[in-house]
Amino acid sequence: MKKQLLPAIIGIVVALLAGLIILWAQGYPPLQSYAALFSYSLFSRFAFFSTLDKATPLILTGLSAAVGFGSNCVNLGQPGQFLIGAMAVTAFGIAVDLPAAIMIPLSILVALAAGACWSGIAAGLRRRFNMDEFITTLMLNFIADYFTLYLISGPMLDTKMYSPLTPMTNSGAWLPIWNGFGSAFLVAVAAFAVVSVLWNRSKIGYEWRAMGQNPIFSRTGGCRNDAAYVWAMLLSGALAGLAGGLMIMGGMQHRFVKGIGANYAWDGVMIAIVANNNILATGLYALFFSVLQTGAMGMELETSVPSEFSLVLQAIVVLFVVASRESTRMLMNNIAAEMRMKRARGRDKGMGDGRRASNG
Amino acid sequence: MQDQFIKMDSITKIYPPDTIALDDVDLVVEEGEIHSIIGENGAGKSTLMKVLYGMTPPSGGEISFRGRRTRFSTPREAVAAGIGMVHQEFMLIPSYTVYENVILGAESVGRFGTLRHDDAKPKVQELVDTYGLNIDIDSRISDLSVGAQQKVEILKLLYRDVDVLIMDEPTAALTPQEAGELFTRLKSLNEAGKTIIFISHKLDEVLELSDRITVMRKGKRVTTVDNRGLDKAELARAMVGRDVVFSIKKTPASPEEVVFEARSLGYIDANGATRLKDVSFDVRRGEIVGIAGVEGNGQYELVQLVTGLLPAQSGRVFIGGHDVTDEDVMQRRKLMCYVPQDRKVSGSAQSMSLVDNAIMTHHRLNPEIEDRWKALLSSGRCRAFASRLVEDFGVLAPQLDAPISSLSGGNQQKVVVGREFMLDTDFILLDQPTRGLDVGSIEYVQQEVVRRRDAGAGCLLISADLDELFSLSDRILVMARGRIVAELRPEATTREEIGEYMLGAKEAQKAWRAGKEVGR
Repeated sequence: MKKQLLPAIIGIVVALLAGLIILWAQGYPPLQSYAALFSYSLFSRFAFFSTLDKATPLILTGLSAAVGFGSNCVNLGQPGQFLIGAMAVTAFGIAVDLPAAIMIPLSILVALAAGACWSGIAAGLRRRFNMDEFITTLMLNFIADYFTLYLISGPMLDTKMYSPLTPMTNSGAWLPIWNGFGSAFLVAVAAFAVVSVLWNRSKIGYEWRAMGQNPIFSRTGGCRNDAAYVWAMLLSGALAGLAGGLMIMGGMQHRFVKGIGANYAWDGVMIAIVANNNILATGLYALFFSVLQTGAMGMELETSVPSEFSLVLQAIVVLFVVASRESTRMLMNNIAAEMRMKRARGRDKGMGDGRRASNG
Repeated sequence: MQDQFIKMDSITKIYPPDTIALDDVDLVVEEGEIHSIIGENGAGKSTLMKVLYGMTPPSGGEISFRGRRTRFSTPREAVAAGIGMVHQEFMLIPSYTVYENVILGAESVGRFGTLRHDDAKPKVQELVDTYGLNIDIDSRISDLSVGAQQKVEILKLLYRDVDVLIMDEPTAALTPQEAGELFTRLKSLNEAGKTIIFISHKLDEVLELSDRITVMRKGKRVTTVDNRGLDKAELARAMVGRDVVFSIKKTPASPEEVVFEARSLGYIDANGATRLKDVSFDVRRGEIVGIAGVEGNGQYELVQLVTGLLPAQSGRVFIGGHDVTDEDVMQRRKLMCYVPQDRKVSGSAQSMSLVDNAIMTHHRLNPEIEDRWKALLSSGRCRAFASRLVEDFGVLAPQLDAPISSLSGGNQQKVVVGREFMLDTDFILLDQPTRGLDVGSIEYVQQEVVRRRDAGAGCLLISADLDELFSLSDRILVMARGRIVAELRPEATTREEIGEYMLGAKEAQKAWRAGKEVGR
């Protein structure tokens, strides 16, 4: 972790500096823009809580991708699993009306199960027909996309409204908002804690990690890779499904609207890649990216820098963190090599003479 | 003094992060000599030659050839200049004929790029006759033995008119007979004026063949000597840096009850080729059974069937009296330890920490590293377990949390061997347990195996190294073409006899069958 921290910090600092130059070149006031970016994401209660709201889905989709990639399952189906999770919670919340104490945990389970089913299809296809999950999960995204679109514009359309969306769920399934703090974030934190223990401390987590680093090694060591693969896919899908479910349960909308998935799923994939599939780093980067995304709105408001600028910043962070991870490692390696070389030379000079003398 | 033929001056090669493959190495090769470069695995012999051959760019140093400064940037340039190299792994197209392989890349071509297929045939045939290579240039590579394929590699270089032949560990895959034949051939090539650079880690070969010998150790040239009245032990000391025990001490075996049994195992691969046929044998407690054979004669499939990595097709496997044929790898691991042949591919995950590598298999079988909650592993106990392994098996490791790739090969192998032996089972399967290790680590691993045997374990040792088989085994089984063709006692046989069985499968098998029937 310590070794990962340095490239991460270097990457972020360099990215912010690069952003500074871009802002300046475009004729915007760079420092003022950054001030707005952070004050609208961190430095007021409302701003901070919006950042946490934004971070909620990002943490979960990020974990979903990290668990998948880290165990050598290329699950790229987060968008689909997200939508299916959200849709399942919506349907459940409309059909069932129970007190919140029962409704909330059940809705969470529904979201998890729905996401897991969707990734489970891909896992099943892999096991049964040896189809690559890389393709099947991507294809399932389209199915989920159009299937939910069909539902919200047909069978589940709220006829009182003029755009494709469902009716609201029953209020029992709503997660409370305390003074602007959305409790959905707590669910994400709990999921983070569970995944982190599973990943780092459990037996199956060890097998996932080993399988992710070298599947032949884990198989030779007796791990049941087939089973571990299925469980990793199910967990990965469940987390993306939960991200979708919380979009319905949290916030104010409580209904499935077209475009609800936004870009959360792909952002999660990106976060996992930047975090190198490390669970803790995934959580931290999710928070950091949500700071950028939330603050960008404020920046637009104050300095009229288009909020799309946050995308530019994100992209630079990704490039620099990933690049500096490799290059700092190589740089450090090369320095170490040079130093060893010098030390070895120095030691030899003393010994070598004696050796030559004895040989001659 | 006249210009030297090949002169390498202060060659240095660093592989980042901190592997110094070559450290300031000087080498002079005279025209027309057989010059051997000897050293342990990882001493830098092959790297030095790859630098000369243009395969690996050096980090520093100068090379001159025929008195002119050169630096080949590709092997093609080296060959054009007259230096050719035969690698350990052959680079031949199996479905092409000998002739086609030889002319590949140097074909005679017509005006519009059309191939004049048979143009060079007389020349190739003439080369075969001149050097007495004794191969049919129209036969397919896939039908040839390893020894014959090696001849094709040499023929390829002769066709390109090289004056210098670099042979990288050429005897590694050969039987003793084929090796003898190779030596005769190299000597006659040498008499015909070719300079030969011969890379090896086997002292006897080098002493038999060379005019001069360069000894390398840990990336440095230790010395270069004329091969006159040299003492094997002295050479070994120069190579290893200390006195070497040529064979490890071991008392005669006292075999007890059967701990492992293979009963008529058979395996047919996806292409329909029979890889194993009717293989039956047993291993008793307190003995080491070695399996000899040219690689690719069914050893791989045998190991996979014993460990459960391949599903059985026919025959049964018994460990400790249990029929484990239908059990999976982990269930079998309760009864056996397994040191796989390639520690980087199947024995470890290079990017994971030493601790994570040490607890593999134990994570399911060893309650000692469990947390109070059974589904979890206790990180403290895992660390304690790993540090016990490090201590008991003398692993030199800077940190338990550092990736295992930061350890030397020998220390990585100690982690693998230690992990497996700590499973503490009565049956031990060792697949090339010392390949690629330095002499010190080989000695250590071998002694550890003998210690396990003396503690009552039954060991099955698969090795391509006849020396290892002779010094460790109490019985040697020879495999050829998927069958066991002979059972021999190391004290009552010779390398040559084993070599014959490795090659001449048919006659040998008849003899063995007859012997068995008489025995009954």
